[in-house]
Amino acid sequence: MDLAYYPGCSLYQSAKLYNHQTKLVFGMLGLHLKEIEDWSCCGATSAGKINDFMAVALPARNLGIAEDSGLSELVIPCSACYSRTMVAQKQLQDFPLLKNEINIELSKKTTGSIKVSSALDVLRREIRGSRFKSIPLQKLEGYNPACYYGCMNTRFPYDVPVADNVENPQGMETVLKAIGVTALDWNYKTLCCGASSIIYNPDSALDLMAKIMRDAVSRDADCFVVNCPMCQMNMESQQEKYCEKHDIKERLPVYFITELLGMAIGLSKEDLQPADNLFMNGMDWTDLCGDSV
Amino acid sequence: MTAKAFDYNPQAADIFTREVMARSGQNIIACYQCKRCASGCPVAEDTDMVTPNRLIRMVVLGDIENALTNKLTWKCLFCHTCGTRCPNNIKTGRIADTLKKMALDAGIDPQQPEYKNFHRAFFNYSLRHGRINEIGMMGEFQLRNMWDHLKKRNYIAILSEIVGKSTLAWEMFKQKRLHLSYHSSKGREEISRLYKKSAGRKWI
Repeated sequence: MDLAYYPGCSLYQSAKLYNHQTKLVFGMLGLHLKEIEDWSCCGATSAGKINDFMAVALPARNLGIAEDSGLSELVIPCSACYSRTMVAQKQLQDFPLLKNEINIELSKKTTGSIKVSSALDVLRREIRGSRFKSIPLQKLEGYNPACYYGCMNTRFPYDVPVADNVENPQGMETVLKAIGVTALDWNYKTLCCGASSIIYNPDSALDLMAKIMRDAVSRDADCFVVNCPMCQMNMESQQEKYCEKHDIKERLPVYFITELLGMAIGLSKEDLQPADNLFMNGMDWTDLCGDSV
Repeated sequence: MTAKAFDYNPQAADIFTREVMARSGQNIIACYQCKRCASGCPVAEDTDMVTPNRLIRMVVLGDIENALTNKLTWKCLFCHTCGTRCPNNIKTGRIADTLKKMALDAGIDPQQPEYKNFHRAFFNYSLRHGRINEIGMMGEFQLRNMWDHLKKRNYIAILSEIVGKSTLAWEMFKQKRLHLSYHSSKGREEISRLYKKSAGRKWI
């Protein structure tokens, strides 16, 4: 099956690993991700802080391109891009005049009809399918992951249909259960990690991350599993800082959901890393099968 | 909380409330102060007791100065916990966001000086190149900060800005997160036409 694919800027840069793994895992599940041509930045949170009109217009352009591709579903792995695109689509539906105004300038007009899904939504749906059931599973043992969703998966700045439980989402738990891993139940799976405020308001952001870390550690988690590139970056790259600030001794690796799923469906460690490994890969691969985790 | 009954000016309060409602798209007069937002807010611990419900009250009472300068307005992370828990579906995160914009419009300096520069750098970079390259975007962000320091003749801040950002780059390099590849989108012309159209619009 072909699906339209919008990677977003961070999946070309700091979360290149996530882009690579998403494509691989989807390929294994028989889903062909067709990247929409000449996509542009969705504006993320920043556009809405400065210019409300552009916060809708930027994702609208991508929606137009995706609809023009003729495919019925647009898959977005990055939570921020997903949130922005969902909100913009709903706003275009709710304000037809706004849609006309934006469409005048677009070469590929948007009708707002394409179905927008996060990569996690699709995975959750596909693991019930026959293609997944026919794949022999590698056994992943000894994991006690804490699934961390952050804000953008379930809480939106506008009324859009939410695919999961808002306060206690189960998407990643469901996927992990299908590969034989039981995720733990914990408090802060949807607490904000601070996102970009780590740049301009690091104190608040570090406090929040420490809160998340402390709860996961106190429940004997041995890794985080995330599906948002921003959460992954914050929780991993700032780990020394927030743990030192709040006297936390433990350190936990932060994996993308595609990493564990990829391992389980038989992709090797080498497969799951992007080929160009000088600047381009994301994180150090902590030995998933060893004792270190 | 400083608004007093004596100071209440119905007309000013009405104008202010209407503007906040129009720009944020939220029906804030539906708030009945149940404080569900307050108990969920992740930053409310260090906002000097200004919780989302109190922020709404400030707006409704027309306490403009406090509404634009309190700590919650500036510390709000836009995480929308308040909005999802509100029984009246008031997304207070968007109100805080609107108040930030109104404060910047009114020439009030943001409480985190880098807030404005960061979002400006991100937004402008996405308009100019169509996509974000992290190095370029952070470079623009750094230049904007340095320009602000230069205007205040604060040379030490410029130096610490250079040291700080270089350290960040080095940390990212060590973690193999520093990307030197460049990518952009050809849709820049469409985007800049849209941007011209947005001039002067205060809401969508």
